[in-house]
Amino acid sequence: MTLINILFGIIVGFFFGVILTKTGVTKYPRVMGMLLLKDFKILKFMLTAVISSMILFHLFSDISLLKLAPKSLDWGKVVGGLFFGTGMAILGYCPGTMAARIGEGKKDAILAVGGMAIGIFIYALMIKGIKGAFLSSEISGDISALIGINHWLLIVPAILLLSAIIYFVNKKFNDHKKIF
Amino acid sequence: MDNSKEWHWFKGGILVSILSLATYFIFEALEYRNYPFGITAGYGFVSAKFASLFGSLNENPVIKRFSEKPDAFIEFFILIGLIIGGYTASKKSNTFAPENIPSTWAKYHGNSLTKRYLFVFAGSILLGFGAALASGCTTGNILQGWAHLSLGSIVAGLSFFASGIITAKILYPKLRGNNDAN
Repeated sequence: MTLINILFGIIVGFFFGVILTKTGVTKYPRVMGMLLLKDFKILKFMLTAVISSMILFHLFSDISLLKLAPKSLDWGKVVGGLFFGTGMAILGYCPGTMAARIGEGKKDAILAVGGMAIGIFIYALMIKGIKGAFLSSEISGDISALIGINHWLLIVPAILLLSAIIYFVNKKFNDHKKIF
Repeated sequence: MDNSKEWHWFKGGILVSILSLATYFIFEALEYRNYPFGITAGYGFVSAKFASLFGSLNENPVIKRFSEKPDAFIEFFILIGLIIGGYTASKKSNTFAPENIPSTWAKYHGNSLTKRYLFVFAGSILLGFGAALASGCTTGNILQGWAHLSLGSIVAGLSFFASGIITAKILYPKLRGNNDAN
């Protein structure tokens, strides 16, 4: 079983890494360009993936081939998200692209792996306090059940909104413009 | 920055969604649970290995989760795969370019290794802590979580952008780019 798990992990990571590097979303100026609201290639890439996955996952869920796993909402998502975004802007990459960047020969990403592990270690040390402060009250993550409507009534507007964002930024911003 | 050989964002996005779906089914076939693939638990696995040096932490719930759950083990190997994938893809397209610090950073913040590495160290601790607290990173919370219309992930993802945009603006208050397309 262990060998299968190792192989499975490496294969998934390999394909993911090839996609990230080939699409250019691992590039420091692209990440910073997105956060500076000047280069939206990464956003278009992510939202395309989200739209396509949203349709696929919900279709397969409707025919009971898979069960969705929505994450609940707690204060940890808000506060942790703010910490995460700050770190991402300082680094110029996120945890996934960090690993792909090591493969591309970017040395500061190696140091970041250590820092990332230390960050999680600090979280583990503080878990008692964090639980009481941020994780004690939570709201179910399943929005359609929460407001009691069919999920496609959420999916269709969500897709329209995300597509409109893609269309707008694609029209207004050039992926090849030099911004730095 | 040579962008000419990059894949189109649409191609990359569609491929990620296919990979997400395939991974979801395989995770299930390996008899764990329906599990959207993520990255954070892979770093959690590294943390747990580090923590095992201190025997007193074995009962810590976070350490226990990352050292015992099979998904953390698998995600650790996803990290290894990402490194191999990044290497292979950049070698193939001749974009493999070893560097100590990103050239854009050097242009605005100087060539000092110490300065960049101090920022990287602080930034990555924030990244790790934040990903653990928000239970997921960009992959888990946006690429997977948004697709699942998961309330927690939507809020977490918007938080990433909110603080990321502010921090980026503080780091790069003025841009020197021109309008030439290149």
